[in-house]
Amino acid sequence: MRSGRLAVLSVIVALGTLATYVGLFGVAAVRNHPEGYVIGFAAATALAALALARSRRWPAWVALGLSVVLLAGGAWVNFVVARVPATPTVLRVGERPPDFTLPDALGRPVSLADYRGTRPVVLVFYRGYW
Amino acid sequence: MAELQGLGAELSEAEQAGVEIIAVSPDTNAQSQTMAEKLRLGYRFVADRDLAVTRRYGLVHAGGGATGQDVPRPATVVIDRDGVVRWFSLSTNYQVRPDPGDVLRAVRAL
Repeated sequence: MRSGRLAVLSVIVALGTLATYVGLFGVAAVRNHPEGYVIGFAAATALAALALARSRRWPAWVALGLSVVLLAGGAWVNFVVARVPATPTVLRVGERPPDFTLPDALGRPVSLADYRGTRPVVLVFYRGYW
Repeated sequence: MAELQGLGAELSEAEQAGVEIIAVSPDTNAQSQTMAEKLRLGYRFVADRDLAVTRRYGLVHAGGGATGQDVPRPATVVIDRDGVVRWFSLSTNYQVRPDPGDVLRAVRAL
């Protein structure tokens, strides 16, 4: 393949990877495999490097610049920023978790103990807007 | 937010069968309410403003926030009718959440 075409392909792969991850963030299969975007950006970088090896013209440089920035940024987010260290959780399968009472969205108190003997609970801890 | 959305869609069936989904975050009640309406979720959002409950569960990611503040470590816990933990999942990468299908299976196994 010619250098120009490789450069265009690199840009398409890089931006396509970004668009797929952002656009399909609500899809568990995409969201739960963040290494996918790192692989996509790495592929774009490889294509740009190949384009540059064939011809040192500006499209190859543009493609390489874009893909390297995305690869570095993506790898940093996935392997550094998003890493959650292990915490000494008190949760144990087969044991009761600590009870709590917290206000709901309307200010009414919600206690875990209220559900005991009535219905199962799925408790979700999430980061919120931060 | 997306993890809640995914869970909501998958768990709607379980929810109808009488499972309560309680979502805990340091968000204010107003923010949670807005989000609940936006995502059309039948969750009960509760506000753990100072992370006291999250801390008691051992689920604080110290300094993990955008400005270095403490944030919850994302976690999903399935608790049966007797108040006993039957299944849980803790995040090691905050982009990754439990597969809603796994949560649903744990709920169905109760």
